[in-house]
Amino acid sequence: MQRVIPLPPYPGYPAMSPNALCFGDEFPAAGAPCIVQVEEHGLTVTFASDTADGQPESVPFSSLTVTAGGLDHDHLVVKWVNVQGERTLYLKNPDVIRAFRESVPDHLSLPFAQAAERVRQVRHRGRLVWGVVGGAILATVLGLWFGADLLVELAVSRIPVEWEHKLGESAYRDFLSHQEVMKDGPAVAALGEMTQRLTEQIPNNPYKFEVTVVKSDVVNAFALPGGYVVVFTGLMKKAESGEEVAGVLSHELNHVLQRHGLERIVKSLGLLTVVAIVLGDQQGLVGLMKQLGVELLTLKFGREQETEADLKGLQLLQRAKIDPSGMIRFFERLSEKDQGRMEWLSTHPMSTARAERLKAELAALPKKSPEPFTFDWKHVQASLGSQPVAAP
Amino acid sequence: MKSEILYPGAFPMVRVDLAAGEHIKAESGAMVACSPTIDIESKMEGGFLGALSRKFLTGEKFFFQTLRASRGPGEVLLAPTVPGEIVILELDGVSEYMVQKDGFLAGADAILIESKMQSLSRGLLGGEGFFILKISGKGMLVLNSFGAIHKIELKPDQEYIVDNSHLVAWSATTSYNIEKATSGWVSSFTSGEGFVCRFRGPGLVYIQSRNPGSFGAWIRQFIPVSE
Repeated sequence: MQRVIPLPPYPGYPAMSPNALCFGDEFPAAGAPCIVQVEEHGLTVTFASDTADGQPESVPFSSLTVTAGGLDHDHLVVKWVNVQGERTLYLKNPDVIRAFRESVPDHLSLPFAQAAERVRQVRHRGRLVWGVVGGAILATVLGLWFGADLLVELAVSRIPVEWEHKLGESAYRDFLSHQEVMKDGPAVAALGEMTQRLTEQIPNNPYKFEVTVVKSDVVNAFALPGGYVVVFTGLMKKAESGEEVAGVLSHELNHVLQRHGLERIVKSLGLLTVVAIVLGDQQGLVGLMKQLGVELLTLKFGREQETEADLKGLQLLQRAKIDPSGMIRFFERLSEKDQGRMEWLSTHPMSTARAERLKAELAALPKKSPEPFTFDWKHVQASLGSQPVAAP
Repeated sequence: MKSEILYPGAFPMVRVDLAAGEHIKAESGAMVACSPTIDIESKMEGGFLGALSRKFLTGEKFFFQTLRASRGPGEVLLAPTVPGEIVILELDGVSEYMVQKDGFLAGADAILIESKMQSLSRGLLGGEGFFILKISGKGMLVLNSFGAIHKIELKPDQEYIVDNSHLVAWSATTSYNIEKATSGWVSSFTSGEGFVCRFRGPGLVYIQSRNPGSFGAWIRQFIPVSE
């Protein structure tokens, strides 16, 4: 008695549609569609068309070999040899494969299991490879998203100081050509002394700082990449002591030392530039800046950069034995409301939190006895040609 | 449904005769002319997501057009965009074909078209991209190529080597590996072949006699550069 495992579609069982392709020498290369039924003793193969002998062929399990094959190793390949030659059957229909597996005899179960395992392995490996690739892409995207700052720092660290000099210098000369520069006098000498004392305390200083006093009522000071610092006389008039100006100067010097300007430029030029710089094309930066019209003078620093410049500035003052409380006092006074037009504030947003942080930082630093400057601040201010501003 | 290739060669056209009520699907833009009894509809084959994946993954068209003989029998003339031969296959319901993304021109309505992701090495180096079309079902399938179409018949375990980018369609019963054209890396590229596909039968492989990418590179030198 034959135990026939019916295959869908059940009603039209004899007129079932083909569920496999059979290959052999006398069949077309595309394969002959055929109907495969799984029975107790083996497989019965019926050809849909009459191209073959037309008779269903019964193949006992004992003469079959089983492997996995096809484009994605998702076909079950069954081979046997009959009088006409070798026959190869490609099965993909899951119902046939399941029925085959259920009734397969012992001698085939091992190769069958191996073929099934191979199919699983191939699928698994495919998923694994795509998983790894997807993961790598995701990691890169996330890395760029969160690690952009790190990348910017890396790019900045690859830009030689000479390039920074060139960048800053052209903007600096351009700016000074429209300004009234104070060449000498007590104010220039006083700033020179401050700069001298501060820069002496910078270890391995790659910058040759150039500090210029510009006659202007603007209460501000700024630093360009490469060590070019401008202090306006307005700021000096507003300050009540040399220590206050030294505090601002120390803050600006640290913008240069921490290469904040360069970081902003690289950030505003975009990620591609960063990558180009990291990969070795520093030369293009200056050209790119001109092309994109990045204005050095209008660059604003970020809050983190300001904080960094504050704290490093404070430490520098401490090392130079300049009373750091002057810096804090000046910042605090500027943050008070009735100070009128304050350019410093527009580029250096002041907050009580900032002053508080500086105070806390100062308290944590070891106390050093400050050494006063050699100049008389009132005298310096008087040389600027106006009355000292009355203390509020 | 009857179909016939007109003007076989470089600039062929397919004429499909539709009985009343019959319809076929074709690549969007494939219709050249048709009887007034034919209605043209656009259809997102495989639903919105299927169409979306086809558009973004394979670069195939988002919409297929359905040409329906809704007001009586009629004929449709179809042609591909590129110069090249057309081949008509009759799918038997068991055979499946992988078709490179520009190869599909038209098919009977019972033909199923899916986007399928290739394995990483095939996607990167096979020259057909990561996504190809998997076409199964029962009925007429019309493929087009760039250049002439050549059919390679492979017996079980018979091997054949095809330069990548020359593939049009291949049976799912074949398998292929990507390998270097020659044993060395440098000579692989200096030989001008780079990577090739080693096919293993049984099944059919349809190849095209011209490589679209190479043709594009060749023609680029004649395009005037505007300032």
